[in-house]
Parts: sequence; structure tokens; C-alpha cells
Amino acid sequence: MIELDSVTKRFERLTAVERVSLQIQSGEVLGLLGENGAGKTTLMRMMATILTPTEGEIVINGFSVRHQQVEVRRQIGILFGGEIGLYNRLTARENIAYFGQLYGIAPDRLARRIEELSEMLEMQDYLDRRVGGFSRGMKQKVAIARVLVHDPQIVLLDEPTTGLDVGAASIFRALIRQMKAAGKTILFSSHHMGEIEKLCDRVAIMHCGRLCYEGTLPRLRAMYGFTDLDELFLQVLEKEGER
Amino acid sequence: MNASLIWLIFRKELTDLFRDRKTVIGAFVIPIAVIPAIFFLVSVSMSGVEEDARANVSLVILGDVEQPLGQRLLQTEGVKRLQPDDPLASLHEGEVRAIVTIPDDLERHLRQNGSEQIRVRYDAANDKSVYAYDLIQRVIADYEQEVVAERLQAAGLEPSVIHPLELVEESVASEAKMTGKLLSGIVPLMLILSLATGGIAAATDLVAGEKERGTMEALISAPVPAGSILTAKLLTVMVMSGISSVAALVSSSLIIQVGPFSANDGGFALGFLGIGSILLLVLILLLLAAMFAGLELAISTWAKTFKEAQTYMTPVLFAAMVPSYMMLPLVPADIPLLYYVLPIFNGSALCKEIFFGEVQPLHVVCTLLSSLVYVAAVIWLAAALFRREKLLIH
Ligand SMILES: Nc1ncnc2c1ncn2[C@@H]1O[C@H](COP(=O)(O)OP(=O)(O)O)[C@@H](O)[C@H]1O
Ligand SMILES: [Mg+2]
Repeated sequence: MIELDSVTKRFERLTAVERVSLQIQSGEVLGLLGENGAGKTTLMRMMATILTPTEGEIVINGFSVRHQQVEVRRQIGILFGGEIGLYNRLTARENIAYFGQLYGIAPDRLARRIEELSEMLEMQDYLDRRVGGFSRGMKQKVAIARVLVHDPQIVLLDEPTTGLDVGAASIFRALIRQMKAAGKTILFSSHHMGEIEKLCDRVAIMHCGRLCYEGTLPRLRAMYGFTDLDELFLQVLEKEGER
Repeated sequence: MNASLIWLIFRKELTDLFRDRKTVIGAFVIPIAVIPAIFFLVSVSMSGVEEDARANVSLVILGDVEQPLGQRLLQTEGVKRLQPDDPLASLHEGEVRAIVTIPDDLERHLRQNGSEQIRVRYDAANDKSVYAYDLIQRVIADYEQEVVAERLQAAGLEPSVIHPLELVEESVASEAKMTGKLLSGIVPLMLILSLATGGIAAATDLVAGEKERGTMEALISAPVPAGSILTAKLLTVMVMSGISSVAALVSSSLIIQVGPFSANDGGFALGFLGIGSILLLVLILLLLAAMFAGLELAISTWAKTFKEAQTYMTPVLFAAMVPSYMMLPLVPADIPLLYYVLPIFNGSALCKEIFFGEVQPLHVVCTLLSSLVYVAAVIWLAAALFRREKLLIH
């Protein structure tokens, strides 16, 4: 479970996240929507203890991001948007294993876990090849395996479907459903709504660092009376702009 | 800090680096190929001058060459007689090394117990000409001694009558010391330069490179203390520097052994260093390596991009080069005490003493203590930069 209480992050003069309060339960998939620069990545980085909140508190499965960083990190697997973050000169297996070892997983368990993940993500064919020559989609799968190697209770996915081909995207959706069924807490960010609709129970919409809507999709639809999700997203943002 | 995590990260960094051709070339090929090549070229051209000076003593001998002095000069090794149209012009051009004028009736005058002037014209600004002058002087002096001996005998006296004192010359510099003198100039320069250059590629890659590729963010989101990550990276950079300087040391030792300097010593060039000196050398090199590694990591952390980091590394090279070059012409006795506490100067100066075989305890203490302070300072700086949130801006 993730609990955010009035979280604010300022970078010098810029306020990237402003007084965001939110709760995400175990077994829930929350879609975090917002345009580029809305503050989604900053919010996730604070949950992962990479950045410290300027104000407010974040509690991850009972551990504070301010005071129990190592425990928080053990709970979390975070997939970054933008650069994929793999070592190009290492093989896929070495990349995943390195992170497994950093999380302190025993060697035999790690080997089994890597087999399991590579089967799930259908990457057995290139597991022992160096990542440098991979396509974006192949790299994305390796990165996902790396994030899940320690079987984290909380999974933060920052724009994870960018660059995935159709086949990979559907494997990925299946994986998220499986994790949801296993009771994980999943936060999934995106700047367009279409992807979120298929997976998420609830959505939160951010704009200029603030949370401007938070609730289930049916409720969102009822409020704005639109059926097209991207249209709906724009309406919420417009309304936020008027305030 | 956690030793097994540091070891894990360190191993991974080395594996990763060694799979990169750029880094390997930076760490090995430069010291193994480039430094000895420079060394070799310099020494070949230096000894080339000397050899040519010895082998080709082209002289113009004016006057009656058939007299004994003329014959002696001509029979001296390396001497060649030239007869150009304008001897003085040839001397200026360097074609002729010296012009000797032997008076026509020199021999007759000497027999009559007379004296004569022998005029030698040479170019004092030309090393080869100076060598020729020295040679002529020696030949003339030898000849003069013989003439004197003959005259004394004729007068019934022993040669020692006019030579009551004899100078017995004996240099106390052992061969080891001569080798040391030679090495004390060039080797510290190469060691320090290769320490500085050897880690640059690694340091740039390990922080700025990781930031740019996005792996740094993944690394710091793992449950690993920042101190362990930084320590592992520091050790990795030190290993690359160390490899580089060991490569430079081995290659320059080999080159000294097989190169034109080999006349000086038979064995391995470093064989003359005692175990204590070697340990001290290793210690001071480790401290220097740690300082360079810390500095390079700090720069790499501070830089926003890989390119920026590469640019900022250039001053490190100068910081290594300037003190080493300034130290090159100095002998240990000339090195001011201040140098033993200035960064890089201190290590460079102590290396010099070690190779000279004149290690002074006060200098060792100054160098080691000041180096420790510098190492602590740069590592503190690197750590402070590494823990900033700005680490992630790109
Ligand atoms: N480390 C940082 N330092 C300064 N400003 C930052 C930093 N990270 C993000 N920002 C700024 O904060 C705002 C929110 O960024 P971000 O969280 O990346 O948005 P999103 O992920 O929704 O696109 C942007 O204006 C961005 O420029
Ligand atoms: Mg983002």
C-alpha cells in the first residue's frame, strides 16, 4: 500500500509536485495521467526514495521514505521512462542478475527467477546476448524483468509502454493482470489515456504538479459525460486551467 | 557501507569496462605503446647526436700534416680530414667540426726545446664541434706529455719532478645510482601521467556515462547505500589508473633495458630499488591514484553530460603534467620543502627521491600526510556531489 500525504517537491523555484495526497491499495492498479512536465516522474521518484519530498510524507507498506529508505527500496520495483537504463555491454541475463544480487537474492533462487521472468516475457532467445544490439522493445522487456527480479510488492511503472510493439504490449498487460491478482500495488503512468483504460481500476490526473482528479473511470465519465477517454482527459485539464 | 555489495559492484564495473574497447585502449595501449615510443624517440635522437659527434670528427688540418702531431690527429678514431675551399665557412655550416693549424716547423722547434702555438678554431655553440675540440685537446696534451718526458730524460730528470701531484679521479655514483638518476627524471613523470590518464575513461563512464544512459537511477533505487556505490566506483577507477601506471612502468623499464640507455645497466632497470623503496613507491602511487580517482569521479558527477565530463577532464591532465614537468630538471637537494606538501608535487618529488636513493624521512612524512589530506578532501567532495539530488538532472 502507498500513502501520500500532502506531498510537495520544489526544485529551486519550480514546484514540480504540489500537495498531492493519494492512497493506493494492495491489489490495485492506479493509472497516473498527465501531460509531459505534470510531475508524474517526480512523484514516482519520491516514492522510490530517489528524491526526498520538500514537504509531506510518503509511507510505503508502512515504511517512511524519509526514515526507512532501505526498507522502502526493498518493497519497490521502479521502471523508468525515457532512457531504459540497462548496461549495454552486459547480456540480458547479466543485467537482470546484477540487480538481483544488489537486492541480495540467493544465487539459486535468482537463477530460477530469471528463467521464470524470461519465460513470462518471452525473451529466452536473447537472454545471453549483449543488450547493446537489442531493439527498443527487447530492451524494454529486459528492463521490466530487471524491475521485477526481486518480486517487489509495489511496482511503479513510468510510461512503460513507450516503444513496446503490439505483441510485447499484450504480454506486458498480461503480466500486470497477473501481478494484480497476486496482490501487488501497481502505479502506472502515462500521458495518454488509451492504455490506462485497459488496465486500471482507478485514475489520478495530474496537472502542473497538482492532483486534479482522482477516482474510478465510471465516476469520471459520469462527471464529464464523455465516453472518449482522451477527450475526457482534455476536459479535466481544461477545467483545471479555469481554476 | 557493505563489503560484499562493494565487491559486487566493483566486479560488475570492471567486467563492463573491460568489454569496452575505448577504455582498454585508454588504460593499456597509451602507456604501453605511446609513452615508450616518445621515450625511445627522445633517447634515440639524444644518443644519435652523441654517436655522430664521436664517429664523424671531420677536421681541416692546415700546415704540414706529415709531422708527428698531424699523423697522430689523423690516426685518432673518428677523425676524417676534409679539405674544403673555404674552411671557415664550412666550420660555420657545421660541415667541419674544427680547424687545426700546425706550424710548418713545429717538429724542428720542439727538438730545439722551443715552444709553439697550435691554433684550433671551433664552434662553441655546436656540441659536435665542442666534442671535436675536446678530442684535439686530448691528442695535443698526450703529445705534449711525451715531448716533456723526452726533454726531462735528456736532462736526467724523472717525469715526477714536474708532476709532484697526481689527480686520481673516482666517481662514487654506483651504476645503480646512475640508472636511478636517469629514471628519477622520466619515470615519475610517466607514472604520474599514466595514473591520471588511466582512470579518466573509467571515471567518465562510471558516473556521467551511467547518468546519461539511465542506469544510475536504477542503481540508486536499489537498496544499496550511496557510499558503497561510490567506494566501488572509486576502487574501479583506481584499478584502471594502477593498471595504466604499471603498464607504463613495465614498458619504460623494458625500453631502458633494450634501448640506447642499456649501456648503463645490465639487469632489470628497477632491480636496484630495495624492498622498502618499492613499498614506499607503491604506497605513494596508491595515494596519488586515490586522489586522481576521487577528483575524476567528482568531475564526472558534477558534469551534466558525458561530453561535459570529457571536457572537464582535460584540466586533470594538466594538473598532473605541470608538477611532473617542473620536477624534471630538479635533483632532490634542489626540491623546496613546500613541494612535499603541495598536491601532486609531493608524490612527484618523493618518487624522485626514491629513484635517486636519497629518501628523507621528513619528506616521506610530509608527502604521506598531505596526500592523505588531499585524498580525503577529494573523496569528500565526490561523495557530497554524489549525494546531491541534482545527480539525476540531465
Ligand atoms: N531534478 C530536477 N531538477 C529540476 N527540475 C526538475 C527535476 N526533475 C524534474 N524537474 C521539473 O519538474 C517538472 C515535472 O517534471 P516530471 O516529474 O518529469 O514530469 P512528467 O514525468 O509528468 O513529465 C518539470 O517542469 C521538470 O522540468
Ligand atoms: Mg516523466
